[in-house]
Order: sequence, then structure tokens, then C-alpha cells
Amino acid sequence: MFKKPTLKDNIIGYGFLSPALILLAIFLVIPVGMVFYYAFTDYYLLTPDARQFIGLENFQRLIKDPIFIKSIWNTAKFVVWIIPVQLGAALGMALIINKQRKGNIFFKVAFFAPVVMSLVVISILWLYLLNPNEGLINTLLTKIGLPSQPFLTSPKQAMYTIVFVSAWQGAGYQMLLFLGGMQNIPNDVYEAAEIDGFSKFQQFRYITMPLLKPTTIFVVLTTLISAFKLIIQPMVMAQGGPMNSTMTMVYYIYQTGFTDRMVGYSSSIALIFTTMIGLITLAQRKLIKEDN
Amino acid sequence: MKRKLLGFAALSILSVGLLAGCGGGNSKKESSDPGDIKIWVQFSDETPEGVAWQEIVDGFNKENEGKYKAVTEYIPRSGSGGGYEDKVNAAITTNGLPDVITLDGPNTAAYAHSGVIAPLDDYLKDADMDDVLDSIIQQGTYDGKMYAFGFSESNVGVYYNKEMFKEAGITEEQLPTLDNPWTWSDFSKISEILTKHFEGPAIDMQIASNDEMLTYAYTPFIWSNGGDVVNEEGTKATDYFNDSKTVEALEFVQSLVKNGYTTISPIEKGFETGKYPMLLSGSWTIFDLEENYKDIDYGILPYPVSDTTKELVSPTGSWQLAMTTKTEKKDASAAFIKYATSTESSRIMSLGNSVLPIRNSTIELIKDEVSEGMRTLMEQNQRSGHARPVVVAYPQVSRAFQQAIQDISYFEENKDVQKVADTRAEEMQQAIDNSLK
Repeated sequence: MFKKPTLKDNIIGYGFLSPALILLAIFLVIPVGMVFYYAFTDYYLLTPDARQFIGLENFQRLIKDPIFIKSIWNTAKFVVWIIPVQLGAALGMALIINKQRKGNIFFKVAFFAPVVMSLVVISILWLYLLNPNEGLINTLLTKIGLPSQPFLTSPKQAMYTIVFVSAWQGAGYQMLLFLGGMQNIPNDVYEAAEIDGFSKFQQFRYITMPLLKPTTIFVVLTTLISAFKLIIQPMVMAQGGPMNSTMTMVYYIYQTGFTDRMVGYSSSIALIFTTMIGLITLAQRKLIKEDN
Repeated sequence: MKRKLLGFAALSILSVGLLAGCGGGNSKKESSDPGDIKIWVQFSDETPEGVAWQEIVDGFNKENEGKYKAVTEYIPRSGSGGGYEDKVNAAITTNGLPDVITLDGPNTAAYAHSGVIAPLDDYLKDADMDDVLDSIIQQGTYDGKMYAFGFSESNVGVYYNKEMFKEAGITEEQLPTLDNPWTWSDFSKISEILTKHFEGPAIDMQIASNDEMLTYAYTPFIWSNGGDVVNEEGTKATDYFNDSKTVEALEFVQSLVKNGYTTISPIEKGFETGKYPMLLSGSWTIFDLEENYKDIDYGILPYPVSDTTKELVSPTGSWQLAMTTKTEKKDASAAFIKYATSTESSRIMSLGNSVLPIRNSTIELIKDEVSEGMRTLMEQNQRSGHARPVVVAYPQVSRAFQQAIQDISYFEENKDVQKVADTRAEEMQQAIDNSLK
């Protein structure tokens, strides 16, 4: 029944696509191309017309820029920590909700609510909760006899605090994905396993986990990519500090470009960032393909 | 076939049209009248600042009827400082700047160096510049020329809780005055008494603020000790920021944290709620205290001064007016800037928006109308106001400064203040070198 599309069909098709394509070109393709070009110029925000091609100079400066190096480490640290923490939390929450029991609605709402809230609002909220003097968390800690913690004012703890807050915010969405995956597993598999004497843990280990694999892969992929783009939480909660311990790559792109007005320099960081993400995505795709 | 192609073309044109529609309204409607000028300001017309501003603009238009006419476009800044600056930056790229813009004090050098704003000296000959505060001239001057004219001023002092001071046994005689300010040792001594008595930090110095406040409020300590952040020309940071005098001042700041007189994790609104006896803050806090915390009986004390020089220095800086190089209405623009920085305009701005005046004559005019605290800050400003460094790479220099203050406040990690100063001075120097290339 399938007819090969004629040239006419193609033209009509592209005609209908053209508004989207033009939007895409203007807001994505062209800007990306411009960043590529600006990365090799000394574009200063206040003198756009005087920009000159300076070759690799921006990149030579970057190699020696301690804040840039630190921002890469900080971003990597965040990515490495957020995946187990957030996915673990999401999986745990999904397991709680998956069972039919009373009060599920409450848990669903409680777990999912942070997802729909703005990141800025959440960051400010946690700023209050984590306040070293009168914040709720430290009050609770001292009540149960633990020392109060500096959380965001300690260069050693700040990034982990941001990992925790970000995981708390984002886990609800992944919980939904896991839940969807779990509810797709037919019940008779579990029944059969129960008859064969599988414990609850064994059911989880040998049925739920393997059958959730496609969902897990998708969740890991999306979390990874979005984790690299971390900016709002460190910006609002710690301004990249203390002592640059929460300065991330995207935050540094913003800072060099808009605060310091070095658009060229900023573009060169953006270019490195894009390349890094591109490579990681490629590597992942390959891994998944081999797996299937 | 042809019809289909036409259809495709029509669709494409339609979508382009739609897009163009989004960006519309930006087409230039240049009026041919040489007296009509457009001004961009960074606040909204509903704020006290906006209301005072409109009064000034109306006055200008009335006085110059038939000759000049100023129209203001209100472009409020967002919380992080964007909004207004974004619009200015976009306008620079598209050649769409108005005749007059406002800019923050530390931006003078960058805007002047880049040729965004034009020097004003030729127009200011009859503007009674001797009456203008030094700090206003300092912050608006780049490369020997006045490029920007501040229309309001700010200053910082040590707010103190009168009841808590009495309770801790500090007498009136022990309090510093503008004529006889407290030295760093005096300040430490009083802080020690208060810290012991109230078993908590004596002062919130906003050391954890991580933003421009640090550069603004902590540079006076360095200046008072004879040190500096950069040289006068704004070309050198090494040998200045890591000079022994600067390091001494930084060590004093570190000692305040180390001894527990101040803290990097203060209680929110600690002074305003009577938990801390002192607060280092700007003139805007007066407004907050009088609106929202009427129970606190407070006064304002001058800046602590270096033991060696005993020189009183206080921070200044606020938004300014400048004429863009793009304007074809230079006379009208300059006339407006002059009007908006006159004694009378400064009076309207100060009383309407609780900011400090920019002229000595205005201070004379209003000093009996303002609160005691405001009067102290106005006078401290007159005597000792010092603008922040005028450097093209200000954002980076300021950030390196902020990070230096933050570094030393983590005294356990950074015992060696000289090392911190060396590292940050080098960072500043690199940014300066890059910006002047």
C-alpha cells in the first residue's frame, strides 16, 4: 500500500515543516554556528564591531584558567553524585507507590510536588532550611544531639548539599517514569515467582530490575545530560562559592559572557562544553546499541 | 508543480512574517526635532526612585518648553542585575542606544574605554563642579575626563543598637564620632566586649554576601591603611593588592572572623531583630529599619580607621547618567544631565528615594529634614567618600577582590593572607592586561 513519496509530496511536507525549521534555524542552528565562530575571536560585549579573529588564544588562556579547571571538576563531581542519589531516591519512591495501599495519593503528591516548582523557589526554600543558625535542618540535628552543619558555607560540603537538593527536586519526575515501567510488568510473572518461592527481594532483583532496564537507561541518559547543565541551584544558593566550590561550567559560561563581558572567551568555554556533552552522548549511544 | 512551489514559498514567507512580527516594534522612529531626547533608566516608574525621577524630568521639560523635551523609558533591573543591562548590551550590538543612559558607578571605565559613552567636560563648565562631592567625580572620571555624572550617592556605616550597647556597659564617651573615629584596635576592643556579653558575634559585616557588597564595603579598610586595589591609572594590581599595607588591612578583617566578632554564617536580619548589637551596612538600611523594624533604637557610627594612619575612608557609588556617543542631540542631552544633577534635582532624588545627595549645597539644604543616621552618612560621605577603582576589567577585578575577602574569612584554610593576596592580585592583573589589549 505504501507509495513512494513524490517530489511534490516532499515539497508540501517541507512546506508544512518550514515554520518549525526556520524557528529552529534562527534560535538553534545559527546561534550554535555563531558561538563556534566567536570562540575564536576576542568579542567584547561593549565593542561588538571591533572583534577580531584571534585563533586559539582563548583556548590557550582557558588551559591556564584555574576557575575554568575547577568548574570542570565541580561539574563532574555533581554528575557523578547526582546519578546514584537521584536514581536511588526515584526508584525507592516508585517502589513505595507501586503497591496498592492507602495513602498512596499523599505520597504521589508529596514526591512529585518539587518537580513542578521553580528551581529558583526551591533553592531559596532550601537556603532557609539549611541556614546554619536558625534553619530547620540544623535545629533538628542539634535536637538529636548532632553538631550543626555549615552545609552551604563550607567549601567541602556545599556541592554535596546542592547534589542533595537537586536530587530531591528532580527525583519525582523519574519516579513517574520508573512507576510507569513497573506497572508495565505483568502481574502473572510475580505470581509465578511467588509460587516458586521467590522472596520479595529476589522478585525485585530478578524480575523488576531486568524488566526496568529500558526505563533505567532512558532515565540515566536524561539525568546525565541535564546534570551537566547545572546552574540555578549553585547560583541562587551559593553564588558559585564558597571559594568556587560550586562554580559549574554553565555558570562560568554565564559569568564570563555576561558579567565579565568576554563573549569570545565565554564562547570558547561553551564550545568545549558542547563538545564534551556531544562526546558523552555519542559514547552512550554506542554502549546502548552494543547492549541491545 | 509551479503552484506547489508557490505554496511552499507562501508558507515560508508567512512564517518569516510571523517571526518578524515577534521582533517588531523596534523600528526606529527618529524624531527630526533636535531637542527631543530619549533616556533609559534602570528602575520602574512605580518605585519611589521612579516617582522622584519623573518629577525631575517634568521640571526639565517645563523649563525648556519649546526647546528640549526629555522622554524616559523605564527598564527595571531584575534581581540578578540583568534586564536593564541586557537591553543596553543588545542596543550596543544593534546600534539602538538612546541619547542618555544610566550606568552603575563601576561601569564607567568599561563604557568609556569602549566608546559607548562620550566625555562631558565641555558641557560642564558652568555646572558648579566644585560643589559636587569628590566621590561623584572620582567614579565618573576615566582617563582624566568626566564621562558619567552620578545622580545619587550612597555610603556605609556601622549601625549600632543603643540599648544593647548600654547593657554591655559601653558608655557614650567610648563611641566614635566623625571627628574622632575609632581605630581598628578600638573597634576590636568594643567588639570583644559585645561578643563576650551577648555570647555571639558583635557585628554582621555581611562578609558572607559573596557579591559586590564585599568590594563596596571592604575596600575602605585597605584605603584607610594606605593600601590600594589597583593603581590610579587602573593598569596595575600586582604590587598594589598584594602590598604589605593591603595585606595588613586584610589581616585585620581576618582577625575579626577569627576572634568571633563577626561571622560568615550570620542570623538572617540579626541586627534588625535585636540579636546582634552592630551591622555594617549602607544607607538603604535606614529605610528598612524605619519601615519594618521600628522597635530598634539605633544609631550610626563611622568607619573604623587604620591604627597607623587614622584616616577616615568610607565607600560610595551609585547610578550615574551618561550621554551615548551615538546621540546626535549632544546639547540637549548634556543640558538634561546638568539639570538632573543640579542642587534642586539632587534634593528631589534624596528626599524622594532616601538616597544621599551628590552636592554639598544639597546637603546643606536638606540636613535638617533627614534622620540623624542619614545625616551621619551624608557627612561621612562629604568628608571621606571614596569611589571604587575605575578599571575597564572591573567585573573581574571586583570578583577577585570578593574572592579574596571570602578566602581570608575561611581563616583555617587560608592562614597565609599574603598568599591569598598574591594569587588574587595576579588574577586581577591578568584580567586588566587582557582588557587593555
